[in-house]
Amino acid sequence: MKKEGWILLLGLCFMTSLALAATVKVITQEAMIRKDKRFFAPAVIRVPYGTEMQESGREGDWLRVSYQGKEGWIHVSAVQEQKFQLSSLTGGKAQETSKEEVALAGKGFTPEVEKAFREKNPKMRYDLVNQVQSYKVDEQEIQAFLQAGNLREPGGGS
Amino acid sequence: MMKRFFFGMVMILLSLALLTNCAEVVQVGTTIGQGMGKISPQDKESIDRAAVQTAKAARPMTDEEEYYVGRAVAATILGQYRLYANDRLTSYVNTVGQAAALASDRPFTYGGYHFAILDTEEINALSCPGGIIFITRGMLQKTKSEDELAAVLAHEVAHVNHKDGLAAIQKSRWVEVVSILGSGAATKLGGAQLGQLVSLFQGSVDDVMKTLLVNGYSREQESAADLSALPFLYRVGYNPYALVDFQERLAKEQAGGSSRGIFTTHPGMSQRVVKARSVISQNKWPRRDDPARDRRFRETVS
Repeated sequence: MKKEGWILLLGLCFMTSLALAATVKVITQEAMIRKDKRFFAPAVIRVPYGTEMQESGREGDWLRVSYQGKEGWIHVSAVQEQKFQLSSLTGGKAQETSKEEVALAGKGFTPEVEKAFREKNPKMRYDLVNQVQSYKVDEQEIQAFLQAGNLREPGGGS
Repeated sequence: MMKRFFFGMVMILLSLALLTNCAEVVQVGTTIGQGMGKISPQDKESIDRAAVQTAKAARPMTDEEEYYVGRAVAATILGQYRLYANDRLTSYVNTVGQAAALASDRPFTYGGYHFAILDTEEINALSCPGGIIFITRGMLQKTKSEDELAAVLAHEVAHVNHKDGLAAIQKSRWVEVVSILGSGAATKLGGAQLGQLVSLFQGSVDDVMKTLLVNGYSREQESAADLSALPFLYRVGYNPYALVDFQERLAKEQAGGSSRGIFTTHPGMSQRVVKARSVISQNKWPRRDDPARDRRFRETVS
């Protein structure tokens, strides 16, 4: 009996290591994979919200990732580590739970809720919020601004 | 003996569940356990159910949800204050703010950082969850250099980094949101559920607004935002002393007795200054003023 227990435990450890295998998902509206681990390094490819990528290494706050056959670096704050899906090992019941967890993850305060909230509060100034969110500073502009002010490109972390 | 062994296994599974897809890991274990004849189908079902409940309760607010709360908070603020119509100044504030945000611990949020000036004499700066940050015209006039402006914005970026706005939301509201989501399962939410979610959304926005404009953050949250802002300034090359110099000046004015704006929402500024100053000394960060920055600040703000 004891032997069975150890086999079970080893199996679980194996599954945990699988679970920790690194897949990351973009959690910003869009993100950029860059050639080097710097904010202003040349862009490799733009990735939209929800894109899943394989992570193959980490240096400081930058993750080495590959997407559509292209490799590069993405800042750790733009992605979230994904958990390994074990549903296939346990059959239908787990699939159902997985769906439920997906629902839980995806349906909280959503555009649908915002829309209903706005209809209820027509005086709220979402038009001005959209205006504020349209304020964007071009990457080259920031670089030139930093240089002219004797500032430096931050490393994005410690 | 076997029961105790299996209880041990369940505990291990629950620990693993914290690292992985909670309910699924537990279900793998219970399926194995049932297959080996160690637990009954009834036990399996109750363990699985407990795991799903745990997963629900543990679900934090996502960055996307934070973004929608932040937009509603900003829409409320912009219902009370006008935007200051000065494109050149707004662009300058945005560039300085972006520099501070890039140097922060969370340079990217779902919708990014955006900075705007509120057209009021009140002296204040406010950060909405997710990264919309307001500085008042009154506060802007109090700053005497680009580095001081960067310090004010870096402090607000730190509040976004720390999710202090979201922390103002009553925990019971979020628990209720998650329980509604659970009851809706994977299907489309019904009208009643959507209505409940909208009302909880409204409550959450009210909680954040109350903290931002009435009660203010706690002294601990304010001090933590200062202590985060200092390295943000240092990393990008701004003078960390600008934060304490600016706050010291405001604290002196506070002694003169002003009742609205930052003095109600940023308590105990003088104690915070002492703490921040000691951190700068410990790190031996140099005082770095720069004539080029001073010049462009004078040209744009003064």
